Amino acid sequence: MENPDTSTSTSTVRRNSKRPKYSKFTQQELPACKPILTPRWVISAFMLISFVFIPIGVATLFASRDVVEIVDRYDSACIPANETDKVKYIQTPGDKPCNRTLRVPKRMKPPIFVYYQLENFYQNHRRYVKSRNDQQLRDSKEANSVSGCKPEDYNNGSAIVPCGLIAWSLFNDTYSLSRNNVPLNVSKKDISWKSDREHKFGKDVYPKNFQSGGLIGGGILDPNIPLSDQEDLIVWMRTAALPNFRKLYGKIEVELQENDVIDVALGNNYNTYSFNGKKKLVLSTTSWLGGKNDFLGIAYLTVGGLCFFLAMVFTVVYLVKPRQLGDPSYLSWNRNPGWH
Amino acid sequence: MKRYAYINDDGPSQDLYRDNRISNTKYTVLNFLPKNLWEQFSRFMNQYFLLIACLQLWPLITPVNPASTWANEREVWVVENGIKKLIQAQDIRVGNIVWLRENDEVPCDLVLMGTSDAQGLCCVETSALDGETDLKTRVVPPVCMGMDPVLLQKIKGVIECPSPDRDIRRFDGNLRLFPPFIDNDVCPLTIKNTLLQSCYLRNTEWACGVAIYTGNETKLGMSRGVPEPKLTAVDAMIDKLTGAIFIFQVVVVMVLGVAGNVWKDTEARKQWYVKYPDEGPWYELLVIPLRFELLCSIMIPISIKVSLDLVKSLYAKFIDWDEKMIDRETVTPAHATNTAISEDLGQVEYILTDKTGTLTENKMIFRRCCISGVIYGNESGDALKDTELLSAIETGSPDVIRFLTIMAIGNTVIPVKSKNGAILYKAQSPDEDALVQAAAKLQMIFVDRSANILEIWFNGRTIHYKVLETLEFTSDRKRMSVVVKENDTEKIFLLTKGADEAILPCAYAGQQTRTFTEAVEQYSQLGLRTLCFAWRELMPDEYHEWSLVFKEANSTLVDREWRIAEACQRIEHDFEILGVSAIEDHLQDGVPETIETLRKAGINFWMLTGDKQNTAVQIALSCNFISPEPKGQLLMIDGKTEDEVCRSLERVLLTMRITTSEPKDVAFVIDGWALEIALKHYKKAFTDLAILSRTAICCRVTPSQKAQLVQILKSCDYRTLAIGDGGNDVRMIQQADIGVGISGREGLQAARAADYSIGKFRFLTRLILVHGRYSYNRTAFLSQYSFYKSLLLCFIQIFFSFVSGVSGTSLFNSVSLMAYNVFYTSIPVLVSVLDKDLSEETVMQHPQILFYCQAGRLLNPTTFAGWFGRSLFHAVVVFMISLNAYTYEKSEMEELSMVALSGCIWLQAFVVTMETNSFTILQHVAIWGNLVAFYALNFAFSAVPSSGMYTIMFRLCGQPSYWFTIFLTVAAGMGPIFALKYFRYTYRPSKLNVLQQAERMGGPILSLGTIESHPGTIEREVSPLSISQSKSRSPVYEPLLLDSPNTRRSFGAGGTFEFFQSQMRLSSLYSRNCKDN
Repeated sequence: MENPDTSTSTSTVRRNSKRPKYSKFTQQELPACKPILTPRWVISAFMLISFVFIPIGVATLFASRDVVEIVDRYDSACIPANETDKVKYIQTPGDKPCNRTLRVPKRMKPPIFVYYQLENFYQNHRRYVKSRNDQQLRDSKEANSVSGCKPEDYNNGSAIVPCGLIAWSLFNDTYSLSRNNVPLNVSKKDISWKSDREHKFGKDVYPKNFQSGGLIGGGILDPNIPLSDQEDLIVWMRTAALPNFRKLYGKIEVELQENDVIDVALGNNYNTYSFNGKKKLVLSTTSWLGGKNDFLGIAYLTVGGLCFFLAMVFTVVYLVKPRQLGDPSYLSWNRNPGWH
Repeated sequence: MKRYAYINDDGPSQDLYRDNRISNTKYTVLNFLPKNLWEQFSRFMNQYFLLIACLQLWPLITPVNPASTWANEREVWVVENGIKKLIQAQDIRVGNIVWLRENDEVPCDLVLMGTSDAQGLCCVETSALDGETDLKTRVVPPVCMGMDPVLLQKIKGVIECPSPDRDIRRFDGNLRLFPPFIDNDVCPLTIKNTLLQSCYLRNTEWACGVAIYTGNETKLGMSRGVPEPKLTAVDAMIDKLTGAIFIFQVVVVMVLGVAGNVWKDTEARKQWYVKYPDEGPWYELLVIPLRFELLCSIMIPISIKVSLDLVKSLYAKFIDWDEKMIDRETVTPAHATNTAISEDLGQVEYILTDKTGTLTENKMIFRRCCISGVIYGNESGDALKDTELLSAIETGSPDVIRFLTIMAIGNTVIPVKSKNGAILYKAQSPDEDALVQAAAKLQMIFVDRSANILEIWFNGRTIHYKVLETLEFTSDRKRMSVVVKENDTEKIFLLTKGADEAILPCAYAGQQTRTFTEAVEQYSQLGLRTLCFAWRELMPDEYHEWSLVFKEANSTLVDREWRIAEACQRIEHDFEILGVSAIEDHLQDGVPETIETLRKAGINFWMLTGDKQNTAVQIALSCNFISPEPKGQLLMIDGKTEDEVCRSLERVLLTMRITTSEPKDVAFVIDGWALEIALKHYKKAFTDLAILSRTAICCRVTPSQKAQLVQILKSCDYRTLAIGDGGNDVRMIQQADIGVGISGREGLQAARAADYSIGKFRFLTRLILVHGRYSYNRTAFLSQYSFYKSLLLCFIQIFFSFVSGVSGTSLFNSVSLMAYNVFYTSIPVLVSVLDKDLSEETVMQHPQILFYCQAGRLLNPTTFAGWFGRSLFHAVVVFMISLNAYTYEKSEMEELSMVALSGCIWLQAFVVTMETNSFTILQHVAIWGNLVAFYALNFAFSAVPSSGMYTIMFRLCGQPSYWFTIFLTVAAGMGPIFALKYFRYTYRPSKLNVLQQAERMGGPILSLGTIESHPGTIEREVSPLSISQSKSRSPVYEPLLLDSPNTRRSFGAGGTFEFFQSQMRLSSLYSRNCKDN
């Protein structure tokens, strides 16, 4: 028993190595900034928000008001008055022409966008929104991949291109516009996203077996034009998130003057009658914020106004009833030692 | 069941017992999968996730496309077929003879057969087993003594040993060698003859032994045990909230499911483009509800479990790393063994503490003594400097010399000569150490213990004693004796020391013990530990007759402990009482302050000790545990019979009820005997008392009673913390919600069993007030925030379903949904582990603030409802604003989804910012960096042509309306919350807010402190309590304290046995030498 000393010293060394390294992180002593809500700070924050938000609100509201918009609902107007069964009427094959007249309320600068607007149409329905196959649309070699397209996947055993409910229900009303009996050119070029044309829809993918089954849904496609050039389809297949939506039909590149009268020759083909959906034709200019939408402007003004109001209330309360922060008399255990 | 280990028998008997492989005791290869799965799925949250996972596999309804044993391979020398072989330790079989060299680790439990030492001794270091760093001697059983090493290889015989157990201080076996080897006598074996697994052989060239327990059946393996998993109160609350959310989810799913089916049958059939088939499969009606179930599954965040586990392990690391919790003396850092229960530290309501070694230093110093009625050391407070005593030694007063002799040799201390000639003592108990040291200073120097011969120098003379028998200390006998023969005179003496109640009744008829009783009383009122010394000369005949009985008792297998106690009883009587020694045990630094601070924090203290009542009360007084009169009041529960205990209990309960309204510190004192009766027959009354009482002192309690007390408090739904340092605290530590072990002088047993180990009692303040409190606050925020962000996204999905024909369409794509939970929202909140609502100093000055954690003010159904409301409000804001800003020609699915998602991400960044109290650089990086990362990641997704999000993010970020929408969302979402928070903070501040404000305004925070400084050392506390003053205590106090003459049970030689028998059952495996006397 000659080395009890060495054994204790080795154990000290061992314990020493367990000792942690010192750093501000391990000791939870990182320098920290601890803000507190002082009245001055809070009131200025609210003031600042209101001073920023109110001008933005005014600007957006003006932008929205600058947009000229013509909306014409035509779904019920385009049913002949003697037709009682609208659904039967729309489902009969053949042309169902209809004429509408629009008056331009204000000068409209090009480009003027022509939209069709559908209401109560659930493009976001779960069965519908997934019923497509992106691979098939992009690649001609993938013509047979129709997974997810049920029930519009095969027609008599051969794959449908483009498959799925979305393509099958393609919107097919047509509009031809004329001003003073002079046709207005509605350009259908570049109405879809460039990225979609170039990367989502193949240049060598041609429609096949489309709308050739027993039940025809919506529009038909020219089997000789590749999908990347079928811009109506590309626009349609960008599904809308809401049951009321607008989709671009075309662009007018000429200026429309105030009180111009525009005649619209409609091909009324699309069935929204079975679910009481509305169909509207929309002509609209655009601003730096997009189409006509007062929401942002009103919301900004409201929030800015409320912030200003709150800032005022807090200021008044602060002046009328000042309160010292951190007043120790609020600690009840300083008043009553038996506090628990 | 007994086992028989056949020595060197290579036959089939070897296969009766398991081999020496050690495995993870929790699992085996076979039961791993079912057992683990069962454990996992007994948690509600996991069952839920299993259900969701199963549903995800069903494509029709999914809304978006979507094992140990370790070897023991060290090589050891083993005799096989008479030849020494080197084999792997895992192949050792019971009965093998294993050879060890110096500094080898013992591979399994062995019975020692031979050593290099001529007297059959060897030294082992047991620190890995019990944490005691002193070397222990082990001895070869007598029959094998001096056997030739060659012969040992061929030895045959049988060892009878009990079934494997975990008691590392006890082994009752028998050894019988087979005929070719010596006689056929049965030789008793004790723990002294064993080498236990994980010990190291020291200072001995070689040793060999027979394997008796192997693998997991060794004493170490058995004591490893399977600790119960501890669930914190916070975890329980989170589970409860998860359950509530689940019910909410089921309701939502059912409502939406019915609505979906109704819409389908009324509306969707008309929507021709959806092409609903007329006839659906049989489960048609279930499809929509199940779709919603999956859509709503994000309501319960999977990430919460991962995040919580992560931050919990960081809390534990912070404890390990804490510089301020390193004990400078022994360089012991704090350690969190259990990483999962840090929050509970902040919710502790009761602390049950051991006394010796926990409150005190367990560093014993001999202070006073009373020898044959003369009291030494009272004037100077140190008997070693008492001139009277020194002159008594000079003159050779026989009583004094005998007293010193017992101090020097009545023990199991081993003297070790160091290189410079000084003598070091290796003592197993600090009391014995103190006595031997003191004797050495009083000229009675214990020099050497070789085999049975003890050598003492006294006044330059060398005296030799031969140890005939050692009657070891047990906590039931409360005394230890040695039978020695003086070599010169051939006289045999019985030298005994022990607790007063175990010694004084055994005095010879006619001896006056009153002076000793008074001395004991006086010393214990000073908080000193007392031991009585007695002796008797034995006639050779008497000794020989008795030694046969003792030997037989020593070799019994059944009830050996009791039989030995009975045998000891036969010789320990008719003592001549020599005197009383008083040993001081210093209070640890900072104990009174720690207790004061923690009591201010609303934590109740119970002291559970094996010590005498008076000593315990005095220590309690000196460490602020109880207040002196008139502020404090002590109520005594005592009695020997059921009726007495019952009456006393009821009286105390009544007093307690009356005084609850008064601002008075009322504490009750109970001793082990009364406690046993109270727990057995009056459990309800005692539980009532436990609820009423903020302080209690339980003296003379056994380890199992300590555990029972913990159990009682736990059954009243209190969060308990048990703190102790010795083996006798292990059960209480394991039983409590939180076990804290002090890695101190008594070894590591308690620290090993504990959830947290600290070096000193005073670190408890920091452990609870800093680490516990922060952990609770952080977890409370993190868990509720996790629910908030999941609910936020889920509510948006639910709202969206109302505009998508209740068909279960997901607004968000699968990538976003996944990244939202695991990436976008979990990283900013993880850095909340660095958040500090108040600085450490403020908390220390105002420990009362812990109340918020104890009462669970930060995580409960009410606060959760707040977060629930917030997520609903934010969902409405995000949904309404994105929907209205992106209407008509802009309402493209992918775009709208990203606008809504961006809104959520921005809002959650601001919510984290607002709920953070202190920003370090890491928090800024995580919160704002996460926003940047969100855009970077989505730009990356938008650059992949095949992804659904192709070009979306680029388009959005180029639109002014996108940014206007986001800013509007943030302002509308945060504005009201910010205003409300400001209003509450300023005009309805909680105490927490007031302290925050005070701290950050740099105001008069220091003057707020109501904590006076306290005198820290025991001297200043004890000296005013000296005997003369104690008599002048107020009358209310005296009857209550002195109401205890009947607590000191007097039992004569006859009555002791019943006491032993009943105590035997109570005594625990962990009873510790000399700890309780």
